Amino acid sequence: MAVIRREYLARVRTRWFLISTIGGPLFAIGLVAGPAYLAQRSQGQIRRLAVVDRTGALSAGVSGRLVEGGYRVESAGTSEEAERELRRRVQEGEIGGYLVLDGQTLSRGRAVFRTRSSPGTVRSLTIRGAVVESALNLRLRQDGAADDVAALLNGGELEVQILGAGSETSPGSGLAAGFIGAFLLYIMIIFYAVAVMRAVIDEKADRIVEIIISAIRPWELMLGKIFGVGAVGLTQLAVWLLMGVGLLAMGLPAMLAAQQGLVSVDELTAALPSFGLVALFLAFFVLGYFLYSALYAAVGAMCSSEQEAQQAQLPVVMLLVVPIVVLSTTLENPDTGLMSGLSLVPFFSPILMFARAASGAAPAWHIGLSLVLMAATIGIVAWVAGRIYRVGILMQGKRPSVPELWRWVREG
Amino acid sequence: MKSAGNDQPAVRLRGVTKRFGEHPAVLGLDLDIPTGTVCGLLGPNGSGKTTTIRMIMGILFPDSGKVEVLGASPGRGWRHDIGYLPEERGVYRKMKVIELLGFLGEIRGLHRRDARARALQWLHRLELGDWASNRVEDLSKGMQQKVQFIGTVLNEPRLLILDEPFGGLDPINQDILEAIVREFRQKGTTVLFSTHLMDQAERLCERVCLISRARKVLDGDLRELKRRESRGVLALEFEGADGWMRGPEVMEVERAEGGFHLLLREGADHGEILRRGLAAGAKINRFELVEPRLHEIFVKHAGPAAADADPAHVSLQGGPP
Repeated sequence: MAVIRREYLARVRTRWFLISTIGGPLFAIGLVAGPAYLAQRSQGQIRRLAVVDRTGALSAGVSGRLVEGGYRVESAGTSEEAERELRRRVQEGEIGGYLVLDGQTLSRGRAVFRTRSSPGTVRSLTIRGAVVESALNLRLRQDGAADDVAALLNGGELEVQILGAGSETSPGSGLAAGFIGAFLLYIMIIFYAVAVMRAVIDEKADRIVEIIISAIRPWELMLGKIFGVGAVGLTQLAVWLLMGVGLLAMGLPAMLAAQQGLVSVDELTAALPSFGLVALFLAFFVLGYFLYSALYAAVGAMCSSEQEAQQAQLPVVMLLVVPIVVLSTTLENPDTGLMSGLSLVPFFSPILMFARAASGAAPAWHIGLSLVLMAATIGIVAWVAGRIYRVGILMQGKRPSVPELWRWVREG
Repeated sequence: MKSAGNDQPAVRLRGVTKRFGEHPAVLGLDLDIPTGTVCGLLGPNGSGKTTTIRMIMGILFPDSGKVEVLGASPGRGWRHDIGYLPEERGVYRKMKVIELLGFLGEIRGLHRRDARARALQWLHRLELGDWASNRVEDLSKGMQQKVQFIGTVLNEPRLLILDEPFGGLDPINQDILEAIVREFRQKGTTVLFSTHLMDQAERLCERVCLISRARKVLDGDLRELKRRESRGVLALEFEGADGWMRGPEVMEVERAEGGFHLLLREGADHGEILRRGLAAGAKINRFELVEPRLHEIFVKHAGPAAADADPAHVSLQGGPP
């Protein structure tokens, strides 16, 4: 329909849309990858280390740890000549330094690191950790201790098993996905719903609305606007999704993981949302957007200027703020009756139910019920909003009082 | 479609009433606009013209009474046969001129390519051809008005409804607009426009409907109305004092054509005025009952003096036979 097309094109063609859609993720990636890249550039040489192992037993273990930590390690000979060569390479900046392991390393965990400039704390810790761990491992094995003592020394491991829900998501990643996803939902819904309100106010202020509703019905215009703006939001999400998939395919996470030296590839992939969660995100976005954009369209129709609208939209904003306020509580205790109840309230569902679903705490029937409830509420809200809209768009001047609004709804 | 005597009127209002809260906007309005005529809806500001037009367009709904447009009630398929220029005109300022016109054509049922082709023709005709790819906000106010007008007629409407179309236009563009309205009239389009510019209405209209304070005061064929009202205006030219002109018979005195026009009350005896003048010693050069200008009819029935008249007087002026 013409209205949808116009709304869509009018927005997608703006420079702003291009910047936020393409630039947003680039910015986010840049935020993560930029420092890593810079670090890598400046440390390209520094991250190359050599190991001189006079004990003849430690180099394999130490090198292994250091490689895991993101270093490139070479073994060097123990002769005087070889060490002179290493000194030269350090001074010329070819390698970041070399590590000397000897008897003291085995007995007391002491090693010497020869470098040109003082290493940072993290580097010192990483190298020291690698040395101590390997030495300890060797000593334990020499003393005949079993592997399990080594495991104990390594700090053990806590495996968390969730009973009942039967979900396979690990709680850590669910928490992150729930939090980030819920917040993104909040921002996207409020952003595009407010865009609908703006469009309504602009049309009122520009006085073009009368021409249009002489040709098409007001509710058609309202729906056209909502669909048009919503399509823009979906386009944006689709672009983001494609970029995300593209980056995954290009192996960016692996690159990141390698460079940061902090997280492993497995951890990163585990934190990525599952396909089902993405679908759920889209569903909650679409329904939440419809719900709130209808409310915002009605608010826009009531007001004659944006300043006025800022006050008038307060009750609607409150509806969106409540779930954000209780979001962290929800993520901590997603199973309590109160949270189940709150997350089933259609106005809160997009954010709270998504968060619960992402953390794996919401049974499927809760999610289904909330989607059905939201759809039903959308029907009611759209009907009421449509009536307010049809009267409101022709009004100029004073904002209506609540009784007047009620009259609009009845008479509309 | 050309004859004014077509059976079915393009617009028919019966007993239409609309109130906003306590405030009556239109009270018991009956109106017929025969197909193929140009009809002026006249009245002072706030008399209910725009409300009437909005009810005809199906934008507002009457509290009571019946509205029929092109033989049907408003709100259905006929929207595509109507061109509407609201009083409060708007544009999408950020759109390009040609895109805006394409959109306006499209919502009135044209194919987009069609709409754009027609829009280009119109733009060239109104000397806006070079502006088609500009944003609307780059245009001057007058140019924007022309664009709005193009948007109104793009779909070759059978019924053209223009709310104060001449407001804010310079004389040259007013003439252009008048010419186009006449052209549509030639093609058989019914035109209803509201105005408070009586000269314009006098030149363009075959019929007028005069409303004041939410009620219809007069309507009918303009020439016939003038004939009916012809005993109501006295043209005077004289030398000497002028105090004798005013009296119980005279509603209003206006300067006109080197003398005065006196608007007479219904059934007034103009002989009385002549007697007073002679008694006052005026040298009277002209004393003639003339055909009133529309402006004078307007003032007589809707001016401040008419407000004092009793309601019976108003209803007496009702529709033509």
